[in-house]
Amino acid sequence: MRYQNATAYRFLAPYLLIFSIFWLWPIISSFLISFQATRTVPWRFAPTFNWGRLIGDPAFFNALKNTLLILVIQVPVMITLAIVMAVLLNSPLLKARGLFRFAFFAPVVVGEVAYSAVFRLMFNLDYGIINKLLNSVGLPRIDWFSNVTPAMAVIMIAVSWRWAGYNAIILLAGLQSIPQDVYEAATLDRVSKLKQFFYITLPLLKPIIVFCAVLSIIGTMQLFTEPFLITERGGPGGGTETLGLLLYRQGFKSLNFGYASAIAYTMAGLAIAISLVQLWLTRDPK
Amino acid sequence: MAAVTLKNVVKRFGVFEIVHGANIDVNDGEFVVFVGPSGCGKSTLLRMIAGLEDISGGEIAIGGKLVNDVEPADRGIAMVFQSYALYPHMSVEQNLSFGLRMNGNPKADTERRVKRAAEILRIAELMKRRPRQLSGGQRQRVAIGRAIVREPQVFLFDEPLSNLDAELRVQMRVEISRLHKELGVTMIYVTHDQTEAMTLADRIVVLNAGNIEQIGAPLDLYDDPANRFVAGFVGSPKMNFLAAQVVGNDGNATVVELANHGGARLRKPLSGAPPAVGAEVVLGVRPEHFFEAGEGDCDIAVKADVAEHLGSVSYIYANAGPEELIIEREASRQRATGDHMVVSIKAGQSLLFDKSGARIR
Repeated sequence: MRYQNATAYRFLAPYLLIFSIFWLWPIISSFLISFQATRTVPWRFAPTFNWGRLIGDPAFFNALKNTLLILVIQVPVMITLAIVMAVLLNSPLLKARGLFRFAFFAPVVVGEVAYSAVFRLMFNLDYGIINKLLNSVGLPRIDWFSNVTPAMAVIMIAVSWRWAGYNAIILLAGLQSIPQDVYEAATLDRVSKLKQFFYITLPLLKPIIVFCAVLSIIGTMQLFTEPFLITERGGPGGGTETLGLLLYRQGFKSLNFGYASAIAYTMAGLAIAISLVQLWLTRDPK
Repeated sequence: MAAVTLKNVVKRFGVFEIVHGANIDVNDGEFVVFVGPSGCGKSTLLRMIAGLEDISGGEIAIGGKLVNDVEPADRGIAMVFQSYALYPHMSVEQNLSFGLRMNGNPKADTERRVKRAAEILRIAELMKRRPRQLSGGQRQRVAIGRAIVREPQVFLFDEPLSNLDAELRVQMRVEISRLHKELGVTMIYVTHDQTEAMTLADRIVVLNAGNIEQIGAPLDLYDDPANRFVAGFVGSPKMNFLAAQVVGNDGNATVVELANHGGARLRKPLSGAPPAVGAEVVLGVRPEHFFEAGEGDCDIAVKADVAEHLGSVSYIYANAGPEELIIEREASRQRATGDHMVVSIKAGQSLLFDKSGARIR
């Protein structure tokens, strides 16, 4: 038995080694770094230096506010959209199902830089298709990237476009696992399709919806690409700066690794806390 | 309560015809069982009555009203599914009342109906539980309860006991029988288990490959099957089929020679025209219709291969050339494996079929 265990660990060793060096050690190391003042040479142990700064830093609270705002608006909208897409994909009336499934999933595999560039072009003040469309229906064009609210809207639209299809595919798997005869029983009970959706589909899909929501919460807490590339480093004037972007700015522009580590742990802690609250709120009654 | 009438009902899936013109009259308050092997179209027929499958041709009437284009919920039927189809996220009580609540049925009436169903099925103490907290038998009771609260004219059961173990199946069979007596409503029940069909039905509809082979009371089908398929399907263990050839006709009787039993001959009186001399036929003998040597009209020698002793009776699986026969014996006369034995066939307790399987009477 012991010999078999040793063999198993020898096979696991390459993975465990790589995991330890590139995952485990950075996790521990960054936690230790968050208690050090890293703008001095050599670094010195100062337990309250970064964490104390965090509590009083307006840039941190601005980034936190922006991140939570995106989370509160974008995640529910995207999940709702994903549910609608999944239901459409699951409909027996839909033709060319494979094509739609591919189309919904495709944004995930598009390169982040490429899609960000396309979104910048689409929302361009003078040449963007969005403003052209607004003009064509008699609405004034919007300067998407010079004002905070439209810039936030662009980020939310972009993130939703990229991830709604991905969530829809996960939800579709959930939909397909609901037995057909449950719907047949409801049909015999004279329950309309709409009521079937709200009273049968949604409750039975709840564990999958919660799973998608938790994934999205974690993703949004780490949001970086869109505010970095689409709204040009959290612009205008930090109006779309997220925690991920603040971390990058502190860690890799200012080389303040201690503070960046404290921000990273705050992001992780928030993601875990919000996810736990979400799981608790949507738990199954005993 | 209502009668159910099927006239030339056809079902096609694309180019494949699954049900080829079914004609069935189910009387008001009758318990009719559709029985047949897998894929014979029995469940499809039931689902067409329920309205869950479209009809490709023919007419279905419930309570004298044509329901071809009537929505399932408006047909006055309730269905119990093989997989129970309970709403997993609802308690038993919510499962029972869901349909009524969704349709704005008065609360007091809903409560009355749910209470009555719970009392009939003895599930009152389970009302707060979720389906996953119930045993298979309890789930099936809830599924039947959900049908009862609808107070339907016709109950439809789609293989409701096939997911239960043998003991529970017997118990639920009795319960369904009791329910039919208590409610007195029309019930149509689909099963592939001929024992269920025999024990539950007022009348059985035997289906095979989308065709109705015979409709009749259980014992009528057992004693007087229309063809070899029905003779083989109804009865457990199955009827034995012995290859034979007509060697002569003698007035209103035919004489057949058993092909695998050393030239043993049986003179079988017939009411109709006898088959031609030389025709290949099949003699059907039920396991309990093999008698002790000399007691019947034709003796055959067999070698006991395997014996199953069930207590009250024993079943002897015996070989005679290429034919394997199942012979029923009283327990006191049980045989050991390897015994040579001689059994006797009575002309009056055997059936004759032609090569196509049609009965020769």
